[in-house]
Amino acid sequence: MIIPRRHFIQGSASLMLAGNWATDVLANQRAKKNLIVIMLRGGMDGLTAVPYIGNNQLSDLRPNISVEGGQKIDGSFALHPGLKNFKSQWDDGQAAIFHASSIPYTGRSHFEGQNLMETGGISPYAENTGWLGRGMEAAGMKALSISLPMPLLLRGNSDNDNFYPSKRPMPSADVMAVLAQSYHGQDGLIEAMSKVRARPVAMNMGGSDDPDIEALAKIAARQMAQDGGPSVAVFDLGGFDTHSFQGGDRGQHARELKKYDLAIGSLKRHLGTSYDDTLVVTLTEFGRTVAQNGGSGTEHGYGTALLLSGGLLASSRLIGDWPGLKKSALYEGRDLAATIDARAAYASIMGYVFDRDHKAMVKDAFFGADLPDLTKQIFG
Amino acid sequence: MISSGSRFYRKVGFGLRADEDVPTDRLGWALEQVKDIPSLIWPGQIRSVDEMNDIRTFFLSAEEKLEQNIKDPTELRTKRETLYHQTGRRYFEPYELAIRHYQSVHSNKAVFERFQNFWGNHFAIVDKIKLATFNNGPYHRETIRNQMDKRFADLVMATTLSFPMMRSLDNFLSRGPNSKFSKNKKHKKNVNGLNENHGRELLELHTVSPAAGYSQEDVINSAYILTGWGLWDGTKEKEGKKVTFMSDMHEPGTHKVLAKSYKSKGWSEKEKGENQLAEFVEDLCANPICIDFISTKLCRHFICDEPTKQMIDHIKVAWKASDGALPAIHIAVLEAADRYGDAHHKFQSPEVWLLQSARMLGGNWPGSPDNFEYDFKQNPTNNMRQPAWVLEEIGHSPFRAKQPNGFPDHGQAWLSPEYLVRRLTLSQSARRIGLIDKTRPVAGMIKEAIARNFEDGTFWDELTAKLGSQVDDKSLCVAFLCSKEVLQS
Repeated sequence: MIIPRRHFIQGSASLMLAGNWATDVLANQRAKKNLIVIMLRGGMDGLTAVPYIGNNQLSDLRPNISVEGGQKIDGSFALHPGLKNFKSQWDDGQAAIFHASSIPYTGRSHFEGQNLMETGGISPYAENTGWLGRGMEAAGMKALSISLPMPLLLRGNSDNDNFYPSKRPMPSADVMAVLAQSYHGQDGLIEAMSKVRARPVAMNMGGSDDPDIEALAKIAARQMAQDGGPSVAVFDLGGFDTHSFQGGDRGQHARELKKYDLAIGSLKRHLGTSYDDTLVVTLTEFGRTVAQNGGSGTEHGYGTALLLSGGLLASSRLIGDWPGLKKSALYEGRDLAATIDARAAYASIMGYVFDRDHKAMVKDAFFGADLPDLTKQIFG
Repeated sequence: MISSGSRFYRKVGFGLRADEDVPTDRLGWALEQVKDIPSLIWPGQIRSVDEMNDIRTFFLSAEEKLEQNIKDPTELRTKRETLYHQTGRRYFEPYELAIRHYQSVHSNKAVFERFQNFWGNHFAIVDKIKLATFNNGPYHRETIRNQMDKRFADLVMATTLSFPMMRSLDNFLSRGPNSKFSKNKKHKKNVNGLNENHGRELLELHTVSPAAGYSQEDVINSAYILTGWGLWDGTKEKEGKKVTFMSDMHEPGTHKVLAKSYKSKGWSEKEKGENQLAEFVEDLCANPICIDFISTKLCRHFICDEPTKQMIDHIKVAWKASDGALPAIHIAVLEAADRYGDAHHKFQSPEVWLLQSARMLGGNWPGSPDNFEYDFKQNPTNNMRQPAWVLEEIGHSPFRAKQPNGFPDHGQAWLSPEYLVRRLTLSQSARRIGLIDKTRPVAGMIKEAIARNFEDGTFWDELTAKLGSQVDDKSLCVAFLCSKEVLQS
């Protein structure tokens, strides 16, 4: 079967809702909306997460690592068998995929790529703040990162906290108050200490040494569901850089995808009805080569897939402009091409969740880059 | 409180202990410590890189056999536990950390350790396939340490051809597409082909950095030069453990990187492969962009997040004059820190902060070496495992880099509410875990530490005045160890 180059929005629910667009937006403004970003470091392979099954092109190029037990979503694409929660949300009309998409970076370096996926810029190491942080600052939002470091992605926002469970008891409030005063001239320490002092005691108790992703997602969900809790959460997952023994249905890449899947499953469970007002989106530095390499892995590439889930989506859909897998269609003859600048999706998502105009969002978060408004393609 | 001390001792080292006098010549004090490779003062057993690699290989094969042969989950769990004990699966990483920390806290040449730890992080090995458990400690203290009186290019060669680097960056799987091996029809069924991982990181992380402007074609050719280097020792173990050049897998011919062609020259095939790589590494290390990249990184690590041109140039001059001799480079870093460092602050990484706390406050850290004697018959004690747990808690396990770029050198990267929580809570327990001397009053020890390691003790007068006279020892520890002045050097 030949896939038309224009392979756009699937699912008829979106079309039915399009007429009610304005009232829909108004209805959404009433509830607190949440945005959760899951960073997938190392270069997530969009062709393992959402393999093309329209013909044998992909499996021929990947004799040892192709996904055999995919969960079909249409005649051309399947979901990795490990993405069980994603599939169930897809079936419930709460999932979407931007395929053949990427941040506009083709240099294939992890560290430049990760820098750009977080800053939203086009020159590596040129910015000290993240697109989400800038977007939130303009919208006045509060964020929580589930990690030990504060991700660059959130920097630029003045109301950021981060958390990772630990066991030891906190010092007395008095000594922290004295320290806080003594930090003058060191803004980073002042900021960090003010967050630490504002924490409820319970937040630092009863953690486990090595919490799994579901437990972390539960913590984030509980924080977000609270009155005055954060509207934005960030997770940081790694391990997607599979140059060797990538695996197909099982193996290294599958294990990492599974962690993402467990996270969205747990978020949905623990956010309860708030999940209806939530959108979860993935972020990675690049996709991987279409063909397998020496070592049953894949190399650094370009186009990948963005996975979206959550009740803010009106229906499940595959969004994109599928470039195909013929050698001539690949970026530099090796990587899945990217036909959508992922930043356009992020700007549109932030605009919708933060109730901000797309143009303003692009200006605040992405330096006024030329990014199309995809709000209707995603939420309409 | 006026002090004769200096932040310099913490900027380039781990500070001065209470029993050390303040040197009359601080730069001379530092230079003395990097001229040669100090011997390790750890009195316990020191296992070689090869010995530890044997243990890892044995562990992996034995674990695989257990998983294949034993179906009953309870039996498997018991047998696996026994294997863990026999092979020190939970013992070796904290043991290696203990050797490292003992040297940093108690040796008289601890400045040298800061450099070893810097290079260990520059040539970081990612935490996978049990490398952190068995190999990364010996890799730091033997593979890297032994090169530190040689040239930077020697260090690059040694790390490139080390087992953990070969294994973690996948070069052992890379085959030249036109190599004899790939052309052999018998091997058609095997997975053949190039693996770019190591070739790219050799350029990007270890030597010239992306500032050199190399192309994808350069990356591929760098990987071609590395083909043939793999793991093989003729045994039937799960994977070979000896880094070897296998000419059958080497991509033949001339390979061009950054506009220079590297020919295949030499008498034997092995010599050809070695010469090509050595010539390539020499050129990368002599590239002015490499010298600039690493000189900047050194200044950032030791002096401040945004080093000035003066600082960086001082290292570059010494580098060029010495043909990249590491002792000369280290001396230049210390000179730059001495000359320009007093005007700049550096927010310390968690491990450096931890070790400085122990050294300044007379800690029995990581504990008595006797406590680390292990019988390989049961789980290691909590005391043995403590160094690893504490580092994990503060977010800085040096053998467990998540990515091959290691841990950040920017101080800002170590600042977040949660990182601060970890340091606050650890400071609260500092005395109990032996990070500071348990036998002496805290207030007095802090005063002695300030007299040696700070120009000015006013900050402590102010802090203690605010804390009041009723303050307990735990709070004093927290106030001192998490003061801005101790967190920064």
